Amino acid sequence: MKTNRTQRSGAGARRPLIDGVNKVTGTAHYTADLPAPNTLVGRIFRSPYAHAEIVAVDTREAAALPGVVAIITGQDCDKPYGILPISQNEFPLARDKVRYRGEPVAAVAAVDAETAERALKLIRLKVIELPAYFDPADSRREDAVLLHDNKRGNLEREVHNEFGDVTAGFARADLVREQTFHCAEVTHAHMEPHAALATYEPERDHLTLHSVTQVPYYVHLSLARCMDMDASRIRVVKPFIGGGFGARTETLNFEIVCGLLARAARGTVRLDLTREETFLTHRGRPQSDVRIKIGMTREGRLTACEMEMVMRGGAYGGYGIVTILYAGALLNGLYDLPAVKYDGYRVYTNTPPCGAMRGHGTVNARFAFDSLLGEMAAELGLDPIEVRRRNLLKAPTETMNGLRITTYGLPEALDWVERASGWRERYGKLPKGHGLGMACSHFVSGSAKPVHWSGEPHATVILKLDWDGGIVILTGASEIGQGSSTIVAQCVAEVLGVDWERIRVVASDSLVTPKDNGSYSSRVTYMVGNATIQAAENLKQLLVEAAARKLKTRPDDIECLGEAYRAISSGETLNFNDVTIEALVGTGTLTVKGTFTCPEDFQGGKHRGGAVGSTMGFSYAATVVEVSVDDVTGLVTVERAWCALDCGYAINPLSVEGQIQGAVWMGLGQGICEETRYENGLHTAANFLDYRMPTITESPPIEVGIIESIDPNGPFGAKEASEGPLSSLPAALAEAVRNATGLALRELPLTPERVAGAMEERERERRAAARRSARQPATEGAA
Amino acid sequence: MVSRKGSGDMNQNTKRILRIQVNGRWREDAVADNQLLLDYLREQLYLTGTKRGCDGGECGACTVLVDGRPRLACCTFAVAVEGCHVETIESQSQDGRLSPLQQAFHEKLGAQCGFCTPGMVMAAEGLLRRNPHPTEAEIREALGGNLCRCTGYVKIVESVQAACGAEKNADEKMEERA
Amino acid sequence: MQALQTLSIQKPETVAQAIALHRAGESRYLAGGTDLVPNLRRNIQKAQTLIDVSGLAELRGIHAGEQSLRIGAGVTLESLCEDATVRARAPLLAKAASLVAGPTHRICATVGGNLMQDTRCYFYNQSDWWRTTNEYCMKCEGDTCRVAPKSERCYACYSGDLAPALLALGAEADIAGPTGARREPIAALFADDGMRHLKLAPGDLLISIDVPLEAGWTADYEKLRIRGAIDFPLAGIAVALKRDGDRIAGLRVACTGLNSYPGLVSGLDALIGQKPDEAFHAALDKAVRKEIQPMASTLVAAGYRRRVAAGLARRLVERLYAAAA
Repeated sequence: MKTNRTQRSGAGARRPLIDGVNKVTGTAHYTADLPAPNTLVGRIFRSPYAHAEIVAVDTREAAALPGVVAIITGQDCDKPYGILPISQNEFPLARDKVRYRGEPVAAVAAVDAETAERALKLIRLKVIELPAYFDPADSRREDAVLLHDNKRGNLEREVHNEFGDVTAGFARADLVREQTFHCAEVTHAHMEPHAALATYEPERDHLTLHSVTQVPYYVHLSLARCMDMDASRIRVVKPFIGGGFGARTETLNFEIVCGLLARAARGTVRLDLTREETFLTHRGRPQSDVRIKIGMTREGRLTACEMEMVMRGGAYGGYGIVTILYAGALLNGLYDLPAVKYDGYRVYTNTPPCGAMRGHGTVNARFAFDSLLGEMAAELGLDPIEVRRRNLLKAPTETMNGLRITTYGLPEALDWVERASGWRERYGKLPKGHGLGMACSHFVSGSAKPVHWSGEPHATVILKLDWDGGIVILTGASEIGQGSSTIVAQCVAEVLGVDWERIRVVASDSLVTPKDNGSYSSRVTYMVGNATIQAAENLKQLLVEAAARKLKTRPDDIECLGEAYRAISSGETLNFNDVTIEALVGTGTLTVKGTFTCPEDFQGGKHRGGAVGSTMGFSYAATVVEVSVDDVTGLVTVERAWCALDCGYAINPLSVEGQIQGAVWMGLGQGICEETRYENGLHTAANFLDYRMPTITESPPIEVGIIESIDPNGPFGAKEASEGPLSSLPAALAEAVRNATGLALRELPLTPERVAGAMEERERERRAAARRSARQPATEGAA
Repeated sequence: MVSRKGSGDMNQNTKRILRIQVNGRWREDAVADNQLLLDYLREQLYLTGTKRGCDGGECGACTVLVDGRPRLACCTFAVAVEGCHVETIESQSQDGRLSPLQQAFHEKLGAQCGFCTPGMVMAAEGLLRRNPHPTEAEIREALGGNLCRCTGYVKIVESVQAACGAEKNADEKMEERA
Repeated sequence: MQALQTLSIQKPETVAQAIALHRAGESRYLAGGTDLVPNLRRNIQKAQTLIDVSGLAELRGIHAGEQSLRIGAGVTLESLCEDATVRARAPLLAKAASLVAGPTHRICATVGGNLMQDTRCYFYNQSDWWRTTNEYCMKCEGDTCRVAPKSERCYACYSGDLAPALLALGAEADIAGPTGARREPIAALFADDGMRHLKLAPGDLLISIDVPLEAGWTADYEKLRIRGAIDFPLAGIAVALKRDGDRIAGLRVACTGLNSYPGLVSGLDALIGQKPDEAFHAALDKAVRKEIQPMASTLVAAGYRRRVAAGLARRLVERLYAAAA
C-alpha cells in the first residue's frame, strides 16, 4: 500500500514531530524537570572495589545524621533482576559481593543534597577483596575466581554454530584471509543523565515511578519483583526522554533503588544521577576481540566465513546472551554467504555491565567482516562496490540460520551511494592523504520473538474517540526522541484521513496505556505501527457503520473522506463530529484495539538461540565515507558521508533522514574517537571531556538516500530506519583510511594515536627494508 | 527541584538578595552565594527548560543568554550575574509564536530527543543576534560547545540556516513596509 | 545537581580592594569561572571566598602602542579573537584564543583565567567518589602521584592555549599584589611542578599582559586535539619566526600540554642564521624533545604526544618560513 506523498500528515508526509513544539519551547518535561513538592533527595553509595565479598555495610553513623530519612542496602532487596529471564543475577544494591567499581551498595534519602552527600561519606563498607579481572583472557583463566558461582570459566554464554559446509567453502576459495580485529567499548552517552522520581503512598501501598526508560513495562515488572509488590499497585510513567540508544532497554539499578528508597522513606524521592554515574550505569557496546576468516573466489564470490567473537561483558548478565547471539546470527542475511561458522564467548569481567546499544551485537562483527571483505577485494583487484554486487541475495529467501528475508533493497542502496559519492570518478583518484571507503549493513525491524514471551500479541494499541471528536492514541511504546509517537499518529491520520490536530498521543503511562514491549530492536514502527493501523481500521469501520445508520444506507455505500463521510448513492455527507456523535449513540465513548503478532514462521531457526536475529523485515544500508588523514598527527577528518537505506517505506521521510544521519554519525563516533576505558576497573572516561563524542565542528555533512522496497508485512511497507546504517560505519571509515594511507587498521577507534602509530610503524619497516636491500647485493654476490 | 536549605546544624550558606532580570522581568530572590545560575533557574524559578547534561562545562545543555551572549549556567554563580539580563529558552516564543530558531528546529527536525535543544537554540540565538546570516562554517563554529547525540548535527545546521532565511524574510518584509 | 561547597562571593570595585580582600589559603580570584567552577564542583579546588574580579575596569581593554600591545587580564578570549588590532598585529594570539574549549566558554573565559588555569590530570579532574576510589593523588588529598607513583612531585599537566603563544611572542605580565606591582616575563610565572605551577604569592593578581610588537616576525600555533572543539590541548606548539633571505634570523618555540608548565624551547640559538634544511630540523626536533616531558596524565599516550609535538614544530617552521618568503 503506497500512498500519496503530498498528504500533509498521513503516511509519507514530512511531518515535524508531534511533540516537537514542547522540545523547542522548553516545556517538554524530562524526569528531572517534573515538579514534585516535599521531595527527598536520593544518593547512591557506590563500591570503590572491583571485586570483593561484602562483610558489612555499616550505615549507623549515616542514619544518625539529622536530615537523613532513609538508608537502604542490599539487605532491603533479595530478589535478583535482569532483562533476560534466564540470566537474572543482578541486585539493585549489591548483596553478597560487589563486582565492579561503581556498583550501587547502599542508598540514602535525605532532606537535601548536602545532607545526602554527607551521609554517603559516613557509610562504611567492609569487604574481603577478591582478585579482579578486567580482561576476558584473565577472567577465563582456569584458576580465576568466579564472578558468579554458576558460571564456569566466567563465561556467561558460549555459542557454537555452523551452517553450511565451511571446510568445503574454504577449500574452493581462491583467496582465504584471516585477521583479528579489536573494538573498544563504547557507550550510549544520551544527553539526558539518568533520573528517576518515585512516590510511595504508605497508606495504600502504592508506588508511582517516573523514569527515563525505553521499556516501562520491564521496569514495572522488575519493580513488582524486586519490591515484592503486586504489579497492580505500581504505576510507571515515562516522561520526555533525552535519548536512549539501548541504554534504557533494560531495567536499571537506580530505577529500583529509587522505588525502594521511596518506600523506605514513605514519601517522594528524586534520584538524579550525575553524568559520571550515568556513564557507570553503562550497558554499552562491549569491547570485542574478533578473529575472522573469509574465503573468496577470484571473481569475488564469498565461499565461507568463520568468526570467533569474544566480548568483555562486564559484571552482570543483562542483555549479554542476546548480544553474543546477535553477532553470529547477523553474519547472515546481508550477503549471500554459503557457509558460516561462529564461535562466540560472552565473558564476565569486573567492569560495569554491557548491554544493548544501537545495532545491538552486530556492529563489531560487521566491522571485522566488511573490513576484511574490502581488504580481500583490493588484493584481488576488485572494486569494493562491485564485490558486494557479486554477493547479493535474492529476496524472498531464507538464510541458513532460518532468517527470512522478504524485501532486499541493498542493490539499489549500492547504486545510490555509488552515484551520490561520485565513486566511479573519484575512487582511487583522490589526492594524497584522502580516501573513500564503503561498507554495508542491515538490522532487524523488531525481534520476531520478544524477550519475555507471554503469548500476548507483539503490540497492542488502543484508540479512544469521544464526544469531543478527538482521537487519542494510547500506546505503551516509548517515545525516546526517535519519533515513535509521530509515526503512530501518522498511521492513524493515513487510515482515517482526519485532520492532524484531531490526533493526540498518550504514551507510556501504565495507568492508562496498554502494555508494550518497549522501544528496542527497532520494533516500534513495524509492530506498533501495524497495530495502530489495525486499530484505526477498526475505528473507521465503526464510523462507517454509524454514518450508514445516520444516512440510512448500507456501510458499503459510505465513503470516508477523512473529515466527512459521504453516501455514494445519495451524495449526502456528514462531518466527522456528527458521525462521531452518531457512533456514540447507545454505546458511549469508543475504544478500539489493534494488535500485531509476528507469525511463528518468522521467528527464526530451531537451533538454540535461533530466535535472536529473526524479524519480519531487515533494513539494508550502503555507506560511503570520505576522509582526509593528517600525516603528522594521524588525525582522521571525515569530510563527507553518504548513506542509502532500504527502510521499506518512509512513513516520515524527515524522520527517516534524521535517524539515518544520527546512526551514521554515531557509527563515526565509535569509529573515530569514542572509547570507554578502565584502569584497574575504574572508569577513566566518565565525562564528556574524556569520552569524546564528536562535536558539530568536525562532524561531516551526511547525505541520505531513502530506498523503498515496500515490505509486504510492514506498516505501509515500512521497515526500520535507525539501527541498520550504524554497523556499516566503522568498516567504511577504516576502508577510507586504508584508501587514504594504504594502512589496514583493525583496531577501533581510529584515534590519531593509532593512525599515527601505524604510519610510523610502516616508516620503520620501510627503513629496515631499505637497509636490508642495501645489504642484499653483497650477500647475493657472496653466495 | 529540591530546596537547598541545610538540615539545621550544618552548612549554612548565607543568602543575599539577588536583583536580576530573567526573561524580561526584574526580580529579587534570596540566593546563596554558592548557588549556580543553573540551579537558581531550575530549582528556584522552575525554569526547567535549561538542562543539566554533564558535571560541569562539558556539553552546553545549560546554555542561556546573559546580556545577550551565550553562557554556561552550570559554570556561573547566580550572584555573579547580578543586575544582568538572563534569557532562557522559555522566553523565546513571543505572543504564542515560536521564534524563528524554534520554528526552524521544530520544522527541520533540529530536535530529536530535545534534551540539547534549549542550549542549542540559545547558543544559536546568541550567534544570530551578532551575525544574522552566518555561513555554515560560522554556525558549526558557534555551536561547537553544544553536544547533541541524536541528530549527527546535520539538521541542526539546516535549522539554523532556515531560521536565518526566515529572519531575512522578516527583514525584507519590514523594508517593504517601510 | 551536586551540592557545592559553602563559599561566599565578594565583588570588589578596584584591584586594590580585590587584593585587600584576599586571604591566603581561603580566597581565590574568580573571573569567567569556566576552569574554576567545575573544579569547585568536584571539590578539587577549594575556597571559602571567591573574589569576583570580572567587573574590575583595571583588568579590561586592549591598548596598542608603538612597541607593544597591552591586554587586560579580564579581556575575554572571544574579545581577544575578535579584536581588530590583535588580529592585525598579533594574529597568533587570536588564533590560540580561538582554539580554546568551545565558543561559549570563550565568551566569558578571560586571558588571565586561561593563563593561570589549574594544571590537569585524569587522576585529578574527577569526582570525589572517583578520587576516593583511587585513594586520591598527590595534587589533592593524597600523597602519591598516580602518574609516576615513585616520584616526589606531581605531574599534572599545564593545558592552557594562550601561554605558548605569549611565550613565543616574548610577552610580559603585569602583576599586582600585597607587596606592590611588578612586571615579569611570562616564563617566570611558571614552575615545573604540577601542584604549584604558578610562581605567585598569595594575593597576587594578574593585571595585564604586555606583548611586544616586533617587526619582521611571523607566528602561528598548532594544537593537537581529537575533536574540533571543547578539548584541551594534548600538545600545543607556538612558533615565532623571523626570516632573512633564505636564512632563519629569529626563532622562538613554545609548548603547552606537555609539561606541568608552558615552556619555551631552549637551545635554538645555534639554529639562528641557518637554512631550515634536514640538519636544521633534526636539531629542532632534538631541542623540542629535550624541552618536553609529557607524562601519562591524559588518556592519550605520552609517547605519541611527544612525537606529534616535534612534528608540529617542524610543520609550523616550514609553513611560516614558506609564507615569509
